[in-house]
Amino acid sequence: MRPFFDLLKKIIQTGVGKSRFFMAAVGLGIAMLLILIAIQAHTNFTQLLYSSKNQNETADFLVINKTITNAMMGQSAKSIFTPEEIATIKQQPFVQAFGLVTSSQYKVVIQAPGDLHFATDMFFEAVPDSFLDVKNEDWKWSAGDRTIPIILPNDFLNLYNFGFSLSQDLPQISQETVKALPLQVSISNNLVADPYMGHVVGFSDRISSFLVPASFMSWANAKYGTGTVTGTSRVIIKTPDPSNPALVKFLKDNGYTTNQDKLKFSKTRLIVQTIVSVVGFFGLILLFFALLVFSMFIQLVIASCKREIQLLVILGTAPGQLQRYLLKQFVPVYIIIGILSLLIVTGLQYWASATLATHQMQVSTWPGIPVLAGTLSVLALVYIVNLVTVCKYVNAI
Amino acid sequence: MQIQLNHLMPIPLQDKLRQRSSDIWNQDVTFKPGSWVKIKAPSGTGKTTLIHYLYHIRYDYTGKVQINGKPWQDYNKNELALMRQQEVSVVFQDLRLFEQLTARENISLKNVMQSRPYYPVEKINEMAARLQVSHILEQSGSTLSYGERQRIAIIRALAQPFQWLFMDEPFSHLDEENTQRAAALIAEECKARNAGFILTDLDNDQHFTYDVHYHL
Repeated sequence: MRPFFDLLKKIIQTGVGKSRFFMAAVGLGIAMLLILIAIQAHTNFTQLLYSSKNQNETADFLVINKTITNAMMGQSAKSIFTPEEIATIKQQPFVQAFGLVTSSQYKVVIQAPGDLHFATDMFFEAVPDSFLDVKNEDWKWSAGDRTIPIILPNDFLNLYNFGFSLSQDLPQISQETVKALPLQVSISNNLVADPYMGHVVGFSDRISSFLVPASFMSWANAKYGTGTVTGTSRVIIKTPDPSNPALVKFLKDNGYTTNQDKLKFSKTRLIVQTIVSVVGFFGLILLFFALLVFSMFIQLVIASCKREIQLLVILGTAPGQLQRYLLKQFVPVYIIIGILSLLIVTGLQYWASATLATHQMQVSTWPGIPVLAGTLSVLALVYIVNLVTVCKYVNAI
Repeated sequence: MQIQLNHLMPIPLQDKLRQRSSDIWNQDVTFKPGSWVKIKAPSGTGKTTLIHYLYHIRYDYTGKVQINGKPWQDYNKNELALMRQQEVSVVFQDLRLFEQLTARENISLKNVMQSRPYYPVEKINEMAARLQVSHILEQSGSTLSYGERQRIAIIRALAQPFQWLFMDEPFSHLDEENTQRAAALIAEECKARNAGFILTDLDNDQHFTYDVHYHL
């Protein structure tokens, strides 16, 4: 075929509109680059979010409550979740585990021992043990025990140590000291008051409340409770990805609120996703126009050599030969563009992974399979469109 | 390869041709494989039209042109291309060379159209020498005289395998001496292939030992 194609080269002038072809080739290159970058950025982002290599464990616990608005003030019933609402929350796909936060239905007063002269009214709450970030052997209670294990929020101790104690000229207290303090806990209702010992077993970063074991809570509520069930105003969920925009939307739509800091990443993620989508979208648009220009270029070449091609066919050139020859003029350009784009993306990825590594974010050094697949599918698409165009116009002659 | 014409009639010439008798038009004619056929035709009786019908580049006729018992229309584009590469060759009256190619390139276009060259370069050179066109082989097709083009077209037609060669006034621009040389070369090449030819011309001639004569 070689000598025949050399002759065809002299007969079928593909030089016509070469600048247009060049522009289309540049367009294809940019389109390919944008698409590949979008794919790779998405891969990287997924890797950053979910890969085990990246330390920030994403599964998280969120305590959810209803937003207290001015209209609700004084009507505590309005902040309580109805059973239907609880069922709805449980059904959400992003809820991995669900627990109720049970509040105490009795009065609690805590006193520090000895000369500390510290006493305060308090409340207790309880959550299922699986939601706790404090693992401690002392965290258990069975009926008859006079000592109640308590978990305090870390923030509480910080507020005292760095806010209250400094301004009041009181001593700062270490976690160990607090754990060693035997607290006097008085639990009462309107009829009886019983003394217990409180023992702080740990500090929670996860749940901002004064926690006691669920077993104690149910026992004490039965014993001292007023009998009326107050209902649940706070629930705790475990979610694999607190930055999931669906979760954020669900909370917003229902007027629920949680620790906003944990959702902060969601906004970043939404922005990144939008940018990546926009880049990919522009890539696709550009690809579409590049394909259009290529098709028009092929049409132009064939139309401008119509007489020559007719004579070639009369002399016995098979349509297949013409198609092969024409495709051979264009396809190598596409392959070169594909390889160049792939190389550029590889370079970018190498640079990105090096840069991110300095921020303790691990992404792979080389572009992933999706990028390779993307390159191949774009090339396949371009090839198919070219083949169809060439066949269509050659057969029309 | 057998060629059969069944009541072949060009639609544009219909009325004119019905008024005169013809050995070909509207007749059943069979060209036997390997036979050398001369068709004598006055101007305007459809000489070139017939060659185009035989070579299947014009289709405005009634009746049939059957190749191996199958009408041309039943051959698809690829089969047709293969036939033109392997089984039928043609010298057009208007020659149809590529002006952007040199004379040699015009010849080798047919020579290399199949996967490998039919004749080596030496053979092409030899044929060119016999027709006294060696010196113009490297010239562009557009600079050649009509007589030179005619000889190049003849060599091009011979630079491929064929069982039938169609020629439309192939010697119209050649002097007597060159005509003799070209005819001798064509006869030789046809014999080498056991091929037949169909030649149309205005007058009687003695260039070949024809098997059959027809009046168009």
